[in-house]
Amino acid sequence: MSAESASAIQRNQVDLLDFVDWSGVECLNQSSTHSLPNALKQGYREDEGLVLESDADEQLLIYIPFNQVVKLHSIIIKGPEEEGPKTVKLFSNREHMGFSNVNDFPPSDTAVLSEDNLKGKPVILKYVKFQNVRSLTVFVEDNQSGSDITKVEKIVLCGTTVETTRKAMPGD
Amino acid sequence: MVLEATMICIDNSEWMRNGDYSPSRFQAQADAVNLICGAKTQSNPENTVGVLTMAGKGVRVLVTPTSDLGKILACMHGLEIGGEMNLAAGIQVAQLALKHRQNKKQQQRIIVFAGSPVKFDKKVLEMIGRKLKKNSVALDVVNFGEEDEAKTEKLEALVAAVNNNDSSHIVHVPPGPSALSDVLISTPIFTGDGEGGSGFAAAAAAAAAGGAGFEFGVDPNLDPELALALRVSMEEERARQEAAAKKAAEEAAKQEKGEQSTSQDVNMTDTAKAGTSESENKATDLTDDENALLQQALAMSMDDSSSNIATRDTDMPEAAGDDQDLALALQLSVQDSMKDESSPADMSKLLADQSFVSSILASLPGVDPNDPSVKDLLASMQNQSEHKKDEDKEPKEEDKK
Repeated sequence: MSAESASAIQRNQVDLLDFVDWSGVECLNQSSTHSLPNALKQGYREDEGLVLESDADEQLLIYIPFNQVVKLHSIIIKGPEEEGPKTVKLFSNREHMGFSNVNDFPPSDTAVLSEDNLKGKPVILKYVKFQNVRSLTVFVEDNQSGSDITKVEKIVLCGTTVETTRKAMPGD
Repeated sequence: MVLEATMICIDNSEWMRNGDYSPSRFQAQADAVNLICGAKTQSNPENTVGVLTMAGKGVRVLVTPTSDLGKILACMHGLEIGGEMNLAAGIQVAQLALKHRQNKKQQQRIIVFAGSPVKFDKKVLEMIGRKLKKNSVALDVVNFGEEDEAKTEKLEALVAAVNNNDSSHIVHVPPGPSALSDVLISTPIFTGDGEGGSGFAAAAAAAAAGGAGFEFGVDPNLDPELALALRVSMEEERARQEAAAKKAAEEAAKQEKGEQSTSQDVNMTDTAKAGTSESENKATDLTDDENALLQQALAMSMDDSSSNIATRDTDMPEAAGDDQDLALALQLSVQDSMKDESSPADMSKLLADQSFVSSILASLPGVDPNDPSVKDLLASMQNQSEHKKDEDKEPKEEDKK
């Protein structure tokens, strides 16, 4: 169990990076030099020098749409000890949220990240809430040390796709 | 061409009554707003623009972001001046209006016209600026009207707080001879961070300069079809005038040679003879009326040289000579089409007066009455309705000149 969680991939769980619809990915309050692909894209996120930074204050609002319906199982957020995120709220299937209405809806799940999490330990989510996810909104409310800038090194989403039924084709 | 939703915040406070921008600050502001709306909607048809006023009884949204330019311009009518500008509330309401835009893919932008003193603290403005930046809203400020160091400093701080990657700008427009709109055209507020909008800006600048650089006062960029139509019709008119002038000159020379007969039959046969002599180079196998008319139509559409035009005109009497009734009908139809006011009789009297005609022709530019071809043509000219038609045209053109 621990070995599995350490490798961060469990049975049938895949990295949902392949199913991310990159054209719709948005991040509010990110710094222009240190932007979301640094934390999300393959290759960039492995590089610890490339981080996603917040800009005007310490909050971040990340919107990730998928190109098909997925089930989300767990999430890994890596960051530095001090400026890494602390309270992270996840919203499933809410389009175009802003900082002003982020507190209007209850989140699908809330995660308070510990140091282990920031080192790579996955956060297991309430699976039942993430059965039918078309898009995910990640709201980073504050960071570990309370500094003005939040830094995120890597974000990994683990889950499965939903079995889609195939329409009967002519000639079957 | 970036897809954008813009909210324009207008200052309609008491300070806008001042006339240091002609005709008044408020009017200059309104012109600038109109120009901006046009530029935004032109650079991308899906762009939307909204307008709100910051002074008066309170911040009031006149029109929510829409791509309908007419609606935007209409709401600018009947705006009243009064009260004090509330910058903070204005920006916050603009931000709210943008948040509820229909197309969430549009970038958000606020354009503020700050003409009166700003009563808020720099700190408050900076906080507002940071909030705008957090929500990725760009801000452009037009600082005009009251010249106040504190005001300038506050507005600079506001824009600096919002600015993310050079998307927000502040422009200072001091009072002066040039209009507010003209000054704004060259700023990044119009040129949209230096891309596509510059085409519109250039055209607008040309229009503002009164179309001085362009023929006919119409910019080919703005309206190519109109410019082309104007140019073509100008050339046609010029060609027609030249042809008529040349023909009239020839006719005058011929009259001087001494053709005195005024009887219509004689004239017709004369012109027929002259016509045949002249139309040697032209196909003379015009036995049918239809053929003749067809040739005339072809000649007219091809816009031939003046000699051909003369022959065309003489073809008609040729054809008509065969049939008096037809001749009469032709004359009538030609007269109707020319909408000639003076009766043919008067014109014939006038034209019979050789000295009058020659004096007219002498004053025509580029016409040499001694040119033999001109003289030939004039010899054939009498009180024909067809020739009358051209001469009516020619004195009319004289009058026009």
